[in-house]
Amino acid sequence: MNREEAPGKSPEEMYVQQKVRVLLMLKKMGSNLTPSEEAFLRNYAGVVNAQMSQLPQHNIDQGAEDVVMAFSRQETEDRRQ
Amino acid sequence: MMSMQMNEAEGSVKVAEWQQTYYAHDSGIQSGATTVRDDEGTEYSAKKYAVTTTMVENPTEVEAQYTLTRAQRVRAAMFPETLVEGEAVLSTQTDPGQQTNVQRLAEPSQLLKTAIVHLINYQDDAELATRAVPELTKLLADDDAVVVNKAAMIVNQLTRKEASRRVLMQSPQMVAAVVRAMQNTGDMETARCAASILHSLSHQREGLLAIFKSGGIPALVRMLSSPMESVLFYAITTLHNLLLHQEGAKMAVRLADGLQRMVPLLKKSNPKFLAITTDCLQLLSYGNQESKLIILANGGPEGLVFIMRNYNYEKLLWTTSRVLKVLSVCPSNKPAIVEAGGMQALGQHLTGSSQRLTQNCLWTLRNLSDAATKQEGLDGLLQVLVGQLGSDDVNMLTCATGILSNLTCNNSRNKALVTQCGGVEALIHAVLRAGEKEDVAEPAVCALRHLTSRHQDAELAQNAVRLHYGIPAIVKLLGQPHYWPVVKATVGLIRNLALCPVNQAPLRDAGAIPRLVNLLLKAHQDTQRHASSSQQTYQDGVRMEEIVEGCTGALHILARDPVNRGEIASMQTIPLFVQLLYSYVENVKRVSAGVLCELALDKQSAEMIDAEGASAPLMELLHSNNEGIATYAAAVLFRISEDKSSDYRKRVSVELTHSLFKHDPAAWEMAHNAVPMQAAYLADELDGGYPPYSYSDLGMGGMPLEAEMHEQYMPEMVYDPRQAYPEPL
Repeated sequence: MNREEAPGKSPEEMYVQQKVRVLLMLKKMGSNLTPSEEAFLRNYAGVVNAQMSQLPQHNIDQGAEDVVMAFSRQETEDRRQ
Repeated sequence: MMSMQMNEAEGSVKVAEWQQTYYAHDSGIQSGATTVRDDEGTEYSAKKYAVTTTMVENPTEVEAQYTLTRAQRVRAAMFPETLVEGEAVLSTQTDPGQQTNVQRLAEPSQLLKTAIVHLINYQDDAELATRAVPELTKLLADDDAVVVNKAAMIVNQLTRKEASRRVLMQSPQMVAAVVRAMQNTGDMETARCAASILHSLSHQREGLLAIFKSGGIPALVRMLSSPMESVLFYAITTLHNLLLHQEGAKMAVRLADGLQRMVPLLKKSNPKFLAITTDCLQLLSYGNQESKLIILANGGPEGLVFIMRNYNYEKLLWTTSRVLKVLSVCPSNKPAIVEAGGMQALGQHLTGSSQRLTQNCLWTLRNLSDAATKQEGLDGLLQVLVGQLGSDDVNMLTCATGILSNLTCNNSRNKALVTQCGGVEALIHAVLRAGEKEDVAEPAVCALRHLTSRHQDAELAQNAVRLHYGIPAIVKLLGQPHYWPVVKATVGLIRNLALCPVNQAPLRDAGAIPRLVNLLLKAHQDTQRHASSSQQTYQDGVRMEEIVEGCTGALHILARDPVNRGEIASMQTIPLFVQLLYSYVENVKRVSAGVLCELALDKQSAEMIDAEGASAPLMELLHSNNEGIATYAAAVLFRISEDKSSDYRKRVSVELTHSLFKHDPAAWEMAHNAVPMQAAYLADELDGGYPPYSYSDLGMGGMPLEAEMHEQYMPEMVYDPRQAYPEPL
């Protein structure tokens, strides 16, 4: 999403680039695409290839993180047992 | 003053011998006394008394006397019956005006001896007791170490009999004298005797009180540094009795720096000694934060863990585990115990025959578990815990599920291991057996939630839940009565389960969707009720915003399935999801954009989403820093604008490119000025050098650009984002 990377790109080229990115991100996050969206990606296979390496490596949408339960706060020491 | 040095060992041997002649009935073999039977038939022993004489002439004979040790002369003076008949011991007195020590000792020693004999043999004679105790008390304070030593030995012997022991403990002066003697002596044997005396006295309340009142505790604590094992043993045992039964003792031991002296004793190797020491530590640190910190500062965790790892004596392991349990609730001790290998060491004792040891170790492990999520070497422990999930004991289940829940938190290695050794099935059974017991259900569900995401075997776990018939049981946990922590955990688990496509239908069949939607509605209404106040409300420690987020997140993943998608939409959820786009909670924005993104795959739903005015908030969300949010928002906009007018598509494209240029203020400015296009933009303002921009493919779903262009191209509406370039910055 950085214009500096591709100086002189036309708006439509930018647009295609971005839409491809959005669709690739959707796929990466596990979402479904419509048949026409899949066709769009096939159409712009070159852009797809270029974009693939630029997708973020980390997982974007993995749901809530694991959280520890703090038992020792609740624990009361038993007497002489 | 004559002061011949006595050979100490010889002296104590002689005392023993004297005692032998005394406590054993005098047969006359040594004393030479004959047993006489009088007319009444009673027996008595003929006694002889020594008479000391003063030597005035013949100094050479005096020299001969010098060869007898003082011990022999004391003995002769005190126990003349031990002399061979006819033998007289000549004193060493040279000056008639000055008595020798022996002579000086003779009379009071005689009295003393008599008193002792009567004490021993005539238990009710208080008068005699009163006479002996003051004498002994004085002797214990004597300047002469030998005298002190002897007196201590005698008192020690006296403590062996109940009656005499009682008399001793009733004399505060006597007890104080013993304490002082123990403290001040340089003589090991005296110290040992004195410690032994106090130990004997510590078995009765009166004795404990007397020791306590006479400053015995600081003195005993000092004895904990003794090189003599027996002194150590007497000291620790006496202190233990005090700690158990004497009020005020704990404070006194703490004040006397008892903990600092006791912790190093953990390095000793006698298991019984260690058991008493660790029990003392437990008594001192229970409920006392400062004590726990002192134990920590002196290397307590390492010492205690070492014991757990290297000993087999059950009582010692049990007392040690109790100290660790007490320390495990202290936030400073916890990491230290974990670092010292506490988890592994405690884990060694979960399968033995001692129920009390196993249970203590489990509680301690549970307390420590949230500090142990990064520990290595826990494979064995994890496997044992999975095994314990089969138990019917609710305490065991509570601990096993709790520990597993924490150890699988953000730890992909542990997750994989637990999954591989049948943890999923075992946890499902625990959930089934838990019923309403939240202390079991909550951690069990959390553990399943951990196992079903973010590790190499997550898919395996997701499938395993279904294969072991876990889905209906889990969905049922969403029902009333709601215990919100369990509900929150369950919703998260369902979301993970839905990641596996094969689970989608079973989840639907189990009624997950209506339950989730109803929970969502309920929670959302609750947040709206409190929206005016900035206060966040908690129910059972859970915020309703968390339930909103969780339910929407689960529905988002469930909506990947076309049938589920339809069911979700049919429950009138779209208006609510659109409303949630306005939430101030970023996660809620993400999941609602996500579920709308899936729902928008269906044309009918896409239209409904549009009808609800979703475009406006979605346009805003295009600018989100969260790439997930921006992606979902863009996708929904694409999908709802498919059949829209070109105006709409233009606006979408503008907004999209705005979001593209958000890091480039100049371009943003330019793009921003182009809205609204219809009013501002006229074809003749076009810069001739640039080809017109065609958004023919915008939302059209990827039909070839060339084909679309001529069909959709509307020259009067050409949009050229470069049209109003400001000066380059």
